Amino acid sequence: MMLPTLRRTALAIGVCLPVLLSGGCLRQAPDTVAEPGVLRFWNGFTGPDGATMERIVKRFEKDTGLRVKMQIIPWATYYDKLTLSLAYGGAPDVFICHANRLAEFARYDVMRPVDDLISADEGLDLRDMLPNILAAARYDGKQFGIPLDCHPQGLYYNEKLFREAGLVGPDGRARPPATLAEFLDAARRLTKDTDGDGRPDRWGFAFTWLRTNWITFISQFGGSILNEDLTRSAINQPANVEATRLMADMITRYRIAPKPEGFDSWMGFRQGRVAMAIEGIYMLSSLEEQQGLAYAGAPVPQFGRRMAAWGGSHVMCMPRKLPDDRVRLAWRLIRYLSDNSLDWAEGGQIPIRRSLLKDPRFRAMRVQSAFARELPYVVFEPASHKSTEIMPFYDAAIEASLLGIQSPQQALDEAHRRIGQVMARP
Amino acid sequence: MTQRTEERLTAYAFIAPYLALFIAFLAAPVAYGLYISLHDWHVLGQSRPFVGLANYAALLQDDLFHRALMNTAYFALLTVIPGNAVSLLLALALNARVRGETLFKTLYYLPVVLSVAVTAIIWRWLYSTEFGIINHYLSLLGGPRPAWLNSPALAMPSLAVMSIWWGAGGNMLIYLAGLRGIPDEYYEAARMDGAGALARFRHVTLPLLRPALLFCLVMSLIGSSQVFGQSYILTGGGPHYSTLTVVLYMYQTGFSLYRMGYACAVAYVLFALVLGLTVIQYRLVAGRREDMAA
Repeated sequence: MMLPTLRRTALAIGVCLPVLLSGGCLRQAPDTVAEPGVLRFWNGFTGPDGATMERIVKRFEKDTGLRVKMQIIPWATYYDKLTLSLAYGGAPDVFICHANRLAEFARYDVMRPVDDLISADEGLDLRDMLPNILAAARYDGKQFGIPLDCHPQGLYYNEKLFREAGLVGPDGRARPPATLAEFLDAARRLTKDTDGDGRPDRWGFAFTWLRTNWITFISQFGGSILNEDLTRSAINQPANVEATRLMADMITRYRIAPKPEGFDSWMGFRQGRVAMAIEGIYMLSSLEEQQGLAYAGAPVPQFGRRMAAWGGSHVMCMPRKLPDDRVRLAWRLIRYLSDNSLDWAEGGQIPIRRSLLKDPRFRAMRVQSAFARELPYVVFEPASHKSTEIMPFYDAAIEASLLGIQSPQQALDEAHRRIGQVMARP
Repeated sequence: MTQRTEERLTAYAFIAPYLALFIAFLAAPVAYGLYISLHDWHVLGQSRPFVGLANYAALLQDDLFHRALMNTAYFALLTVIPGNAVSLLLALALNARVRGETLFKTLYYLPVVLSVAVTAIIWRWLYSTEFGIINHYLSLLGGPRPAWLNSPALAMPSLAVMSIWWGAGGNMLIYLAGLRGIPDEYYEAARMDGAGALARFRHVTLPLLRPALLFCLVMSLIGSSQVFGQSYILTGGGPHYSTLTVVLYMYQTGFSLYRMGYACAVAYVLFALVLGLTVIQYRLVAGRREDMAA
């Protein structure tokens, strides 16, 4: 009786143990192991920009004899993976970090400052880089990477609809508005109810990405989200309320833009149902593939007291814990990408090197060069390590204002309270 | 070694694989979560100081968390009873031994095998203000074109309708099995006593279906208090926090803001609430013991 039982027990253990061990011993693949001469480079360029980047990287490999393992991770999950790799190991040698995410990583000390590399690199002329964009990659007095590009938003407009509405200059070509009055006038003339059901089916304008559109508006009115030293909320200041009210008025009072609920504004622009939109330069490639759309770009009109346009930047960074020999290789890639950022610009980006901006090849890129005029006054999201954390609160306030759920004042007061709580925490 | 000990050992050996997986992937992480919830735990933080119950204290003050609790309760209200009513009605209809029963059973059950992501993407198109089939037919009838997912009043009910469609088939099968388990004699006896269809349902079907009802209601309540995918995919918690649920709030705190300590505290509060509710519901619906045995 005893033997069979024991045998059964032994059998059970014998079958199960290996299964358990193999499960329990599964370790994270050691992807940190640095292969000599192979650089690991992470970014989120999943669109046509990924193909552009791949071409540049291929050329880098040919020119230097180094190998680059490029991993493209969709932006939606990119920062999860990057954050975990920076916290627990496995980070690549070079990675792209948006300027508005940089402060958080810098503050938690997981990125390597590059000031020493810049000063040691005699071939690099820092004066060739636009100082205000370079500053977007600075935190606490240290430079945490080199911006590959700047991507401001500008005004896209439909040339055909403009010509049909008689919005043309003396040369007979579509003329984009430059002031609020011109903008409202143009938008009114472009908004049409063609099927007579009382609802416009063609709009002069549409808000696309509410957050970035709103940052452009408040910045033009002299407003900001945080106070100057980025310690407290300043979101319910009068300038912001005024700017937000203007945006809401475009929907309810001037009736030139649809309510941003369930309306795919960008698709509307692509299909000619929206005549103007304020969007990032990176949306260019989606227009290029649109058949039969006559589009052009111009700087954002002046709605407020001064010129301003939201912008972002892809900054090329390195993790804090990188051995010196890897740092040298990583820097070579960063330098190469910066030197060749004119190729990168073709896919819908703007280089930040003065020499490249003057290049005839760049001047021939008509939308890029139009948006590049905004570079002197481009506005980034606040460079606070709480930037990601406060974002949902102003998103909600903008949405509530434009959908008419709350008045701009109420919505911004509520956001002020919530952002105030976040800023009060260390 | 006595025979009893041996048998016990054998039993443990056989459950060992499951037990090990259970401990490694459920029990241990759950305990670890409690530990994390007592710390200021930022994923990138160099230090993770112990803060005691500070995270829980902060939750009491956090009006967004309260909002998320209310939203989750609202979702439960919109789905638990109505959803079970739909399942029960479907089961009753199928129990009438209709022709093509297997076909209907399959059709009603089909949505259950879909993942929430697939379901949500299908319904995003149905609900689309501009291109959705719902608004298409509404406007053909001269009706309005509501922004189903973009207006604060409609967003949560829209998610609830979708969730009922998605989950009704599962409970339907359980109810159908329960109905099939009720002997015909009871109905015959009731009929002889002159009970009509409604009376038979109230006095025969419902009491004898109590175990199935209890099971389905408890499971639906637990499921709906953990609602996440619907609002994560369709609304992101908006518009204006109207579909921000507790699990979504926990997810955003933990995985967008990387504040793991606070997120774990949210999880533990939810755990306590669900546990409490389940106990209450069990007491309410279970009733007398002999019913449970039936």
